[in-house]
Order: sequence, then structure tokens, then C-alpha cells
Amino acid sequence: MNAPVNTNASVNANATSNPKADVLIIGAGIAGLQASLDLADQNRQVILVERNPSIGGRMINLSKVYPTLDCASCITTPRMASASHHPNINALTYSEVKNVEKHGTGFRVTVVKKPRYIDEDKCIGCKRCEEACPVFVKDEFEHNFGAKKAISIPFTNAIPQLPVLDINNCTLCGACANACPTDCINYTQQPVETVYEVGAILVSTGYQLTPANAKPQYGGDKFTNVLTALQGERLLAPHGPFGRVLRPSDGKIPDNIAFIQCAGSRDQSIGLPYCSRVCCMYAIKQAMLLSGSLPTADITIYYMDIRAFGKGYEQFYQNAKAMGIHFVKAKVARIKETEDKNLMLRIERQEDQSQPEEVQHDMVVLSLGLKPDWNPEAINLNVHTEYDGFVKSPKAPLQPNITTMEGIFAAGAATGPKDIVDTIGEACAGAMEIENHLRRMEWRLS
Amino acid sequence: MIENNCENNGENNGDSNNISKNNISKNNCDDNSDSTNIRVGVYVCHCGGNISDVICVKKVAEGLANYPNVAISKEYVFMCSDAGQKLIIEDITSGKINRVVVAACSPALHELTFRKALQRAGLNPFLYEHVNIREQASWVHKKEPEAATQKAILLTRAGIEKIRRQEGLENIRVGANKHAIVIGGGPAGMRSAISLADRGLQVSLVESGNKLGGRLLEIDTVYPTNEKAEDILETLKTDIRARKNIGVYLNNEIANISGFVGNFQATLKNGETIAAGAVVMATGNKSYEPFEGEFGYRTQDNVVTMPEFHGILCNIRNNTSTNKDFIHNGKHIQSIAFIHCVGSRQQAETHQPQADGKLNEYCSRICCSTTLQAVNEVKKHFPNVKVFDVYRDIRTYARFTEDGLYEKASKNGTLFFRYTEEQLPTVQGKNITVKDVLTWNEEVTFEAELIVLATGIVPNNITNIVEKLKLPIGADRFLSEAHPKLRPVEVANTGVYLAGTCQAPMDLVESCVGAAAASSKAAIVLGKDHIELDPYVAFVKPEKCDGCQKCLPECSYVGAIFMNKDGKAEVNPALCKGCGACVAVCPQRALDLKGWSLEQIEAMVDAIAEA
Repeated sequence: MNAPVNTNASVNANATSNPKADVLIIGAGIAGLQASLDLADQNRQVILVERNPSIGGRMINLSKVYPTLDCASCITTPRMASASHHPNINALTYSEVKNVEKHGTGFRVTVVKKPRYIDEDKCIGCKRCEEACPVFVKDEFEHNFGAKKAISIPFTNAIPQLPVLDINNCTLCGACANACPTDCINYTQQPVETVYEVGAILVSTGYQLTPANAKPQYGGDKFTNVLTALQGERLLAPHGPFGRVLRPSDGKIPDNIAFIQCAGSRDQSIGLPYCSRVCCMYAIKQAMLLSGSLPTADITIYYMDIRAFGKGYEQFYQNAKAMGIHFVKAKVARIKETEDKNLMLRIERQEDQSQPEEVQHDMVVLSLGLKPDWNPEAINLNVHTEYDGFVKSPKAPLQPNITTMEGIFAAGAATGPKDIVDTIGEACAGAMEIENHLRRMEWRLS
Repeated sequence: MIENNCENNGENNGDSNNISKNNISKNNCDDNSDSTNIRVGVYVCHCGGNISDVICVKKVAEGLANYPNVAISKEYVFMCSDAGQKLIIEDITSGKINRVVVAACSPALHELTFRKALQRAGLNPFLYEHVNIREQASWVHKKEPEAATQKAILLTRAGIEKIRRQEGLENIRVGANKHAIVIGGGPAGMRSAISLADRGLQVSLVESGNKLGGRLLEIDTVYPTNEKAEDILETLKTDIRARKNIGVYLNNEIANISGFVGNFQATLKNGETIAAGAVVMATGNKSYEPFEGEFGYRTQDNVVTMPEFHGILCNIRNNTSTNKDFIHNGKHIQSIAFIHCVGSRQQAETHQPQADGKLNEYCSRICCSTTLQAVNEVKKHFPNVKVFDVYRDIRTYARFTEDGLYEKASKNGTLFFRYTEEQLPTVQGKNITVKDVLTWNEEVTFEAELIVLATGIVPNNITNIVEKLKLPIGADRFLSEAHPKLRPVEVANTGVYLAGTCQAPMDLVESCVGAAAASSKAAIVLGKDHIELDPYVAFVKPEKCDGCQKCLPECSYVGAIFMNKDGKAEVNPALCKGCGACVAVCPQRALDLKGWSLEQIEAMVDAIAEA
């Protein structure tokens, strides 16, 4: 009954009526948001494409951010709100870039809008469908701690406030359609392709964590009480899955927690030789937050080098030491799970007595590294990557935003691991490069 | 008791006990012909759990629901989120409220966010008051939830009292001079100048030295690409020469600078004056200068700093007849030791404070990679020279430095020793003694003929500009940004932007990123027809001013207040920063501050004190 409503459905690539914009930004994390706001403030028309159902990227998923310990939401949500309200920004969520081709001085970009299985124009975000749905699925936003409904708004402060129906797990029981006051559920909705013509492109596709099982000897995918760094973030988030800090296996309050640094970086054996830049600082931050919620807990960080290099970071590290967080220079060889789900770490200290020893902890957080989240080579952009998989910056020292393809720029973790401060700086710089490029090309929206 | 003379807001049954009645009726009658028209919406934010873990936000919202002129009082989990802002907008557009108070975090974070929301709802954005119940209540009274809740109520009452006496304000609009001054001709300054020039802005690039290049002039190659510094410099210079709208001033300095966003006036040392709309600070850094005797510096001739070592290396390599051997001061050098963290990561227990009594607590960010690059250069050209690297943590974080520099040094025979802040290495002649963490904390002594101190970086001395422009300086002596994530290259004073290492230690890539970001922000501001300034400025009620001139010496901003031809004080709103110093001294109460009037402040104090 509810046919997919989409006026763009019939637009084909050769038609001259393709929607136009000055810039198309791939990825609406903090880098994409910052760059789109800076460009939009200069009267550029921006299309912001986001693969996930909400803008906000990884940052909105974090607890608090170092070194100021501001809550991540407090810094991200206003940017998200500004971008979604800006008259010059058109945010396309739950959409992916399928193809890019050169067109005049600019590009033709094909964007596929994935079906949410609701009529977005009619939905009022009332969540009645979510309440009515009888099917529970894993909650990805909580990194599988906890469950959500098969039709749900992805998280509390998501933008837009539109639910997505998980068609793979939906039983088509019709409960949501019955509950919906605006009759907007559409079980047969199809993807919709739209071609946009733009003058420049920014790749701000960010990062993903290295897999929890990259080092199988740590049991990241087997042991319930071995957490990934992002699970650690959710555990500490004001709106985390449990509302407080407890260990997943039995709900016990942990009191002897370990962080394992370089669990996915600086390791030739897993093909990740580089430093991921953020893990030392996020581990220290999580340790500080843990020590705030669990003042009597013992917290140990096993590390190789502490890389607190940013503004105010070294002081942050020294504060953590003063708070009583143990820093042990040691390599962790493997982890075994005990009967009561505690974790036995075999470590070799690189200081004092250099003998292997076994140490027990009741919860472990793996400080996983950062990998690129998207390979631009997949869609023939002519944007090349380096051996580390991140976008190549051929003019690196002076203009790191420039890629191997003229008119396509990159910013943030797309060009290598980067913390939020450095990412925002690079996004502002990217906006500068794009504006100057458009001027050089004498690009005009006609 | 309900019938206070607050002209009886029909929608509210106010509790009159806590209001200073006379003030309210009078003021409201002055500003608004009818105070019943004032309908305040109060929104109390949980801030995740930042506030609600301590403060009972429900109690705060309920406790204020019946306060005079309050039409709506709600609580919500994240007021700053889109959904939170929507609550406010809906209440405004449906006509329920026409003043807004949000009790949440610090106004530094989100006052602007909410003002914009009011604007979107069609309400004057200055009919908004932001009450800080996080930093000022929940965070500081963690252990006293009841008292913190009470305090939150009182602070919010004060906010309500203020906003009910508030009239809509308009931003002050000034014209913008389409010209930027870039101070400092290093790579950040040069990159800024190029980017700004490409925006069609006129740029004056002021450099105190006799050539452009800054610290790039000191080095041979840059890490991790090993590109020649002089080639990079040549690229920058070519770009500058190709742009007619960049004026380069060498051997020159800012003698005087004043003004505000859109309208700065600078006088150079040579007497020339420049009028500009924005100032980009690219004043850079210098190498840390060790004190006499620090690791043998200046008491032993075999101890040099990293920049001095770069000079030595350059000299040797340029002398093609003898460049097979590492010869320094006529001696064949067989062994070199590098000591990291000299002048960085200092701690009270082990380090001697600097001349100003401070420690350089920060990490200088670049020295690990710089050192390892030097180590690898030595090993490449003089493979027989023994190299020792004495470090605390190796911080090769930048792209291609872990695998490109550290990995290489670990394989080319360089010996690493690791010390901790508890015991610094000592230098006696050629002997270096390290309590080495890597060999079971044993004390190891070895000989090195040349000892290189990997000196950190400190900001250049720019006291003159800092004082003239009243720029904020952090505890680390670098310039302070307004917020590391929200406004990373801006300072509190609008119109001044931070490019590169004047803000913090950075490598070349990071400096260039900072420079592009700073010039982007400057160009956005100067690209508009008008610049909008905050309306919180002093104003004079001429009928009350008796011309006593007591206000004049109190003002810190040149030209902001002056005597006009009628003998009365007058304020230049573009120059006034709204500090209120003049208001405080005026015996006639002829001066007042827009948005922070004496009456508002008195009512706020009463709201707190009378409770």
C-alpha cells in the first residue's frame, strides 16, 4: 500500500536535472560535520552522506573525551544539531556512495539510500513501533551489550530521530504497522539511487577498531570479561547499557581491571606496524573514569611506551599516575579465563624483574588500534591509499588534505589514526583547501 | 500571598515570598509595558548523568514551576541534543513562552547553541539565560546532593529574575577590513598567507628575521619523508611570490597593535601602519635552552643541543672531502649519545624549574621523531659510529614514524636505554650513567664522545603582542585556544587566530594543518559583509552623566569610552568589551551594561539571598 515515496527514483545519470551541490562529504563523523559546517558558513551547498542511520560518527558513541573530560555528547550533539538545521547542508543518512565519476571540473556521484522500511516524511519519531515490536536484536550502538527492538531509533540522541527496521530479523508480524499512528511502515521499501553533481568531494570516512580477535591469544572474541575499547567506552558512558560499571559475565562490580596497550597496533605480526595514536590516551581516560566510579578498584595499564603527546596530555597522564593508576611496562603474552570468569594474564615485565609471571584480573580492556573504515579504491575514485590502508597524502607536509585525485580531499582518521582535536583541525583545514579549489576551478552552482 | 504585584501572570500562581516585589513591577513596567506578557520556559538538563547523578533534576523543575512568570518548567536528559532543542522551539512557536532559561552546563559550552535555537524559533536570541548547575553545583557538591539541588534551584531562580528583566538585543554590526596580518614567517605563517591570499584577501606577512622559513631554516631534511627542508621552503616561497596580494615584511616586528575584529591597526617597527580585519598568530617556537650544567651543557664542550647537532651534521656533509668521517672540533667521533626529554615532561621532584619558576610539564611532541631521524642519519652515513639513545618513552606517533624511524633505529645497531623521571641520567665528561629500566633497573655507565640533548620546544617571546591584544596564555606559556574541540584555532578575542606552534608543540604537518584551519576561520569571518559582535556593551544615560570623568581611567580598552562634545561620557560599542569597570565607578549610575544591568544583577542577588 505504501509505495516507496521518492521523487528522485526516476532520475537517471544522464538527465540534466541531477541535483547539484558545491561539495559532497562522505562520512558524517566529527570531521565531516566540522568541514560541512565551515563550508556551509561560507555559503557553499553541502551534501553530507552518512552510511549509518544517524550522523555523529564514532564520537557520539564515546563516554567522555580527553583531556578535558567533557562528555562526548556535549561536544558532538550541538554540531549534529547545527549541521542538520543548517540551510546549506543536506544530510543524507543511511546512504552510501556507490560510484563517482569525473564530470567537467567536478564529479557525478551516485548515492544509494538504503531502505529504513518507513516513510520518512510521515514518521514523527514517536517510538510506538519500537514499543510494539516483539523482536529483540543485538544493540550495535552498545557494542552488543544489551538489546534493542528489531525496529528502533538507533540511539537516544540520534539525528534524525527515525527508526530503522532490521529486515533480516523482522518476523513481519505487523505489530509496528498496527501501532504506527501515521501509517508509515513500509515492508517493501526499496533502495533508491540518486545522482548528484558536485564541485568537490571530501573523504572523511574515519576509522574502525582492529578486530577483537586480531590477537587470538588475548581471547577478545571468546572471554566475556575481555572488552574492546569501545565496549569500555559504553560501560562508562552516562547512558551506557547497564547504567553503571559492572562486568558483563555476572554483573559483579569489577575491582581489579587491566588495560592492555597496543593490543592492535605497533605489531608486525598482525600486519599493523603503525602507532594508532589514541589508545594510550583513551586507556588513561577510561582508567580515570573507572577510578572515579569505583574508587577502591585496582587499575593497571600494561604498556610499551606511553604516548601522551598532545596539548595537556602529558599532564593528564601524570594526573592519572597521581590518582594511583598503575602503569606497568610489560608485554602481555596471553590471557586465559579461569573458572569464575576471571582472567589470568601471562606478562613479561620490561622493568624490574624481567621474568614471565601470571597476574589475575577480573576484567580486561583491550586497547585496540585504528584501521581505515572505508577503502576509496573500492569505487574507482582514483584516490589511492598507502600500505597502511589509509588515504595517501602526496602533498603531506604542506597540504595533507590533498589526495591523489584532484578535487577530492580527505580529513580526519581517513588519512591515518588521529584524535578528536587533530581531526577537527584537519577538517577545518580541509574546508579551506576545498573552498580554494572551488575558487580556482571557478565552480558555480547554476 | 499569591497576588504579588508582579501583575499576576494568569498562567502562573507564583510564590511571592522570594521576589523583591518593587523591583519586578517597576522594571517590567519600564521594559515591557505589561509584565503578564513575560512567559519564561525553564528547562533543566540531566547532562547525561553529569548533573542528574547528584542533583534531583525533577525537584529543580518542579520547584520552579510556580515561580512568577514561569510558564513551563521541564527536565530533559540532554537539552543540547536536537530533541532537547526541539522542546524549546515547540514551546516558543506554540506561543507558550517568550523567554528561556536552561539550567545545564557552563555557558561557555552551550549558550550559543541555545541562542541559535531561539533564533530558529523566531525569538530574539538574547531573551535567553544559561544557568550553570554543572560546574557550579553538581560537580563541586558531589557529596551533598540535597544541598546541590537547593543550590541549583537558587541559581536558576536568579537566572529567571535576570531574564524577566531582559529586553531583546541586537548584535553590533561592524564593517570588515578585507586584509589579514600574519605574524611570523615560518611554515605556518607562510601557509596561512598563501591560503588567505587565495581567498582574495590582502595579506601582510611580518617576519622578525631577515628571511622567511622560521625553524625550517635550521634543518636539513624533514621526517618522515626525508624531503629537503630547503625544497619545501622553496615551494612555499614560490607560492608566495606568485601571489600579488601578499606583502612580505622582513626584519620587521609589530611595534604596536590594537583594535577589534574587522578593524585592527598595527604599527610596524619601521613605522609603517597596517589596517587589517584579522590577525593570524604564527609566532612559532624556539628550541629549549638548557641551563648551564644541565647534562653538562656549556660546562663540557662535548655536549650540544639538537639544533646545534643539526648544524654539525650539515657542516660535515657539506664538506665533501672529509665527509666520510664524523669529525667534530678536529676530533674523530666514534660514539654519540642522544638524551631525550631535555626541557620537556619536567616534574617537580627531579627537575629544576625554569627562570619563571615554572616547569615545562608538557611533551614537546616532535623530539622523539627528530632524534630518531638524526640517529638514522648518523647510522646511514657513518655506520661505524656507535649510537646510544637514552629515552623515557618513544613517542613516534605520527604517520610513518613508528615503522619508518623507530623500527629502522631498532634494527641498525642503535642501543636504547630507558630512564624514568625518578632518576635522570647523569653526564660526567664522556661518561653517561643511566638507571636503565630495560636491564632490571641496573645503573649502566657508558662512554660517548659527543652527547646530544634532544631539546624540547618553547614558545617564542611575544609579550608585546600578548599584552597589546590581551591574548590568553596557558600554564605552559603557549597561547590558549578558546576550546580544544569547539574552537581549536580561535582565542576568546574574536579576530585573532592561532596557526601552528604558538599554540602548542607540533610537527611540520600539524603546523600546516593548524595554519590552514586558522586561515579558514579568518576567511569565513572576513568573507561576510558585516561582522557581528556581542551586544553586551556599556551605554551612557546622558541625562544622568555629570561629566566627572571617573570612568575614563577605569577603561582598559583604548577608545572604548570617551568624553563627547557635550561633556558627557560616550561609549564606542565596537571597542567596548562589556567588562563593566566603568559602570562600577559611576557615582551617578549613568552607566549601565546591556544584558547585564545593575538592576538585573541586584535582582539575581536578591533571588539567592532572600531564599
